[in-house]
Amino acid sequence: MKILVAVKQVAALDEDFEIRADGLDVDEDFLLFDLNEWDDYSLEEAMKIKEASSGDVEVVVVSIGPERVDESLRKCLAKGADRALRVWDDAIEGSDSSVMARLLAAVVRKEAPDMVFAGVQSSDHAFAATGIGLAGELGWPHAAVVNALDYAPGARQASLKRELEGGVSQSVTLQCPAVLTIQLGINTPRYASLRGIKQANAKPIDVLGLGDLGVAASTVGVDASLSRVRRMYIPPKGRAQMIEGSPDQQAARLVEIIREFKGA
Amino acid sequence: MDATAQTTRILFEQFSPWAINLFYAFGYAAIACFLYGSYVQVRKYRRGQPDASWGQLAARFGDMARTMLTHRTLKRRDHAAGAAHAMIFFSFIALFVGTATITLEVDILKPLFGITFWKGGFYLLFSLVLDLAGLGLIGGLLYMMYRRKWMALPKLDYTRPDRQPGDPDYDRSAYRREDWAFLWTLILIGITGYVLEASRLVWLSGDAGVWDSRFWSPVGALLAHSLMGLGLDASGAGTLRGGLWWFHGLLALSFIALIPFTKVKHIFTASASLMFRDPLAGRRLPKVPETQEAAGYQAITDLTWKNLLHLDACTKCGRCHEACPARTVGAPLSPRDVILSLREFANHALAASSLPDKAELSIHGKGPGQVFMETLWSCRTCLACVEICPVAVEHVPIIVQMRRKLVEEGQMEPILQKTLQTIHKTGNSFGESKRKRGAWTKGLPFPVKDARKEPVETLWFVGDYAAFDPRNQKVTQAFARLLHAAGEDFGLLLDGELNAGNDVRRVGEEGLYEHLASSNIATLEGCEFKRIVTTDPHSFNTIRNEYPEFADPALRGLFQIEHYSTVLLKLIQNGRLTLKKHLSHRVTFHDPCHLGRFNKGYDAPRELLALIGCTLVEMPRNRDNSFCCGAGGGRIWIPDPVGMEKPAQNRMKEAAGLPDIDVFVVACPKDLTMFEDALKTTPGCEGRFVVRELIELIAECVEAADPAPAALAAAPAMA
Ligand code: SF4
Ligand code: SF4
Repeated sequence: MKILVAVKQVAALDEDFEIRADGLDVDEDFLLFDLNEWDDYSLEEAMKIKEASSGDVEVVVVSIGPERVDESLRKCLAKGADRALRVWDDAIEGSDSSVMARLLAAVVRKEAPDMVFAGVQSSDHAFAATGIGLAGELGWPHAAVVNALDYAPGARQASLKRELEGGVSQSVTLQCPAVLTIQLGINTPRYASLRGIKQANAKPIDVLGLGDLGVAASTVGVDASLSRVRRMYIPPKGRAQMIEGSPDQQAARLVEIIREFKGA
Repeated sequence: MDATAQTTRILFEQFSPWAINLFYAFGYAAIACFLYGSYVQVRKYRRGQPDASWGQLAARFGDMARTMLTHRTLKRRDHAAGAAHAMIFFSFIALFVGTATITLEVDILKPLFGITFWKGGFYLLFSLVLDLAGLGLIGGLLYMMYRRKWMALPKLDYTRPDRQPGDPDYDRSAYRREDWAFLWTLILIGITGYVLEASRLVWLSGDAGVWDSRFWSPVGALLAHSLMGLGLDASGAGTLRGGLWWFHGLLALSFIALIPFTKVKHIFTASASLMFRDPLAGRRLPKVPETQEAAGYQAITDLTWKNLLHLDACTKCGRCHEACPARTVGAPLSPRDVILSLREFANHALAASSLPDKAELSIHGKGPGQVFMETLWSCRTCLACVEICPVAVEHVPIIVQMRRKLVEEGQMEPILQKTLQTIHKTGNSFGESKRKRGAWTKGLPFPVKDARKEPVETLWFVGDYAAFDPRNQKVTQAFARLLHAAGEDFGLLLDGELNAGNDVRRVGEEGLYEHLASSNIATLEGCEFKRIVTTDPHSFNTIRNEYPEFADPALRGLFQIEHYSTVLLKLIQNGRLTLKKHLSHRVTFHDPCHLGRFNKGYDAPRELLALIGCTLVEMPRNRDNSFCCGAGGGRIWIPDPVGMEKPAQNRMKEAAGLPDIDVFVVACPKDLTMFEDALKTTPGCEGRFVVRELIELIAECVEAADPAPAALAAAPAMA
């Protein structure tokens, strides 16, 4: 019995960042990398299933990215994942979520897990597409934004709740294997102590290249993607303004502005 | 031969041989019981982990002997109890030595070598000493009884803040009964000793050899005369003596037999605890050995033998209980109860001939003898408990070791978890960008050196609060101006500095501490400087006491660090800073735990206050008894429960009780934050005084406009 958890190392902006010379991304010097917040929850959900089970459950984490991603994988290992996989080839650089989904699908075929978890979205790019794209590639049942899960390892079905807009919930039963994207708050993620992370150095991280997955280089990268970034920039400041003065003066000025807009 | 030379102790006079044999049988049984009990105790300690405190035994012994002979630690903050204990202690020793020498003569020297010395002048002198010692013993014990029964001292109240009535180990009445049994047994041994002596005198009043020298035992003699006055004659006295002799003897033998099983064992455990005391306990926390898999204490057998010994040394004097800020504000923690819980646990789990299952050895949990997670997280690692314990129990290292386990398991407040992750990610607890660490220097009218790029005389380790907290940045800038005014060549590590790790370590996140300390050490080792200074007592403590253990042994000298108070004091004393103005405030001073108790920096701030003309009014709890602001041990990152008084508020009330003070002076960035906040939230304190950093007061004096002459010179120009 195996659960595969797809995770991502996300970037957060540091103070006073700068955009890269090519205008397509933020200069990496100004980025702080960490495990995507959603992935803390999806890994925890897998760990809870593993710990509640009397049988043998293997939790495997997988991520796509360069070597720096190992640090985030190690954090997952420290939290109890059994194995970590990292997929990388320089040709992957610039790929969009559709390519990521394709690569992950190749990993799933190779690992043959009974269940796949991913975060609802990543905090840096926020496409919320990779997990569901992966289900599409595989043709597996899927559910997005899962905020409660009832699943026994190896069961043919899982029942879960999905969080919809406007405070509505949906109860769903679906066939397994399946791909679920996990929402924040579904559980309380555990803490990975620094000693734990250090000791996780001893656990292996397998690096897979395109050849290992049987994926052709021509099917990854910017050119194989369905979308590409044209420009990254800081939008000009909005036109909000503070109206100063006593309440009377403020009200008078507000009336003036409304008139201006109405063109009166 | 003159009569006194014949005088000797009447021992088994007129005892039938079987009675003597019976007595010896009891004696041997008592000794066997004592030895077996001692063996069980030692076996218990040996079930703990190794500890490296075996070095320098002679020096340790000397230190212990000095502490015991002076009763220094017992007299602190409770002189009467210390003095009474000294009376009991010295009398007990005299009486014990007296009895032991009799045994030596009767059972060893005389039968084997025919030597007797227990006679003549020596005997008379000795009986005088022992007679007076008996008085000391009884007097001391009477005071202790009075103290327990009538003084209603809160520290002798065994009510536990961490358990509710009805919990299985809430009730501490067994301890109370034991205390009384101990006092009564000793006092009965003393009293029957006197009556025995008196009845012997009456009984042998016909024997001139005995009777004529009776006043060498003045108390006994007076008692003998009183008994005779009451109509006791020689034969009645003989009968009385016969009965009493057995009573007294058996009581004393039972006392000896029961030493290892009762609180009496503190005679040994407290001495040993003092002998193995670590002067840096809590100031320098134990490293986790490289080879050790898991950090922290999970099972009772994870404690070192020294920890286990400390548990047994506690005499329940309650001094730590009284001093603890967490306990004072009603948190579920008493350092005494942590120690006693663990002791009960150890006695239960480690006394049998074989160890129970590993699962039954866990000291974390809600069961009897286990320590609650909330209890451990309530500690502010302020060291007030370790500082005042008369028998050198070291609570804080045990508490932190137990926290290490909680951290490994993630059993902590989510907000603390977040803060630790933030510190790991950004290197500071504010979650600010590393690049902003030096932002406060922008407000200075002169450039500040980057100590990583050029050599400096003084390397200033700023610390998180001083660098990032807006209110503290003003103080930090003022200190920079003072250094600049004094012509000091100083520099910073800027974005190369990480949180020093003092509080991270005290939280129990040892891995993160190792990471922070080794990064800072590597940065420091790459710089050229003569000394380190800091305005932050927390950074001060860990750099001074803990970094050397993580550094290359050849470079340990690097960590010569000074707190700003000694730096400024020298700069003023040698004239490099001039005070242009004096402040005539009435102030009180709060000793920061990490400067005062941790590192004995009590005097420099006070001398500075005197130099700038302030009148210091001490709070009742000052210097080594300073009351923690509540921020220590990582508690600054965990909000205090609503509705419960905060330690800082308790401190504000104490200051407000002083007659007319203007300023509450602090010397620590965290104190400034804690107390400015507490001043606003403590009813009846706001507006009574203000909270200021000592640096600000000094800057005010140094940076004042030039006094009178300048003002005069300016006057004509204006005219
Ligand atoms: S260190 Fe301070 S807060 Fe912690 S137990 Fe000791 S006295 Fe109490
Ligand atoms: S630990 Fe020390 S201070 Fe506390 S009650 Fe025991 S002997 Fe007294």
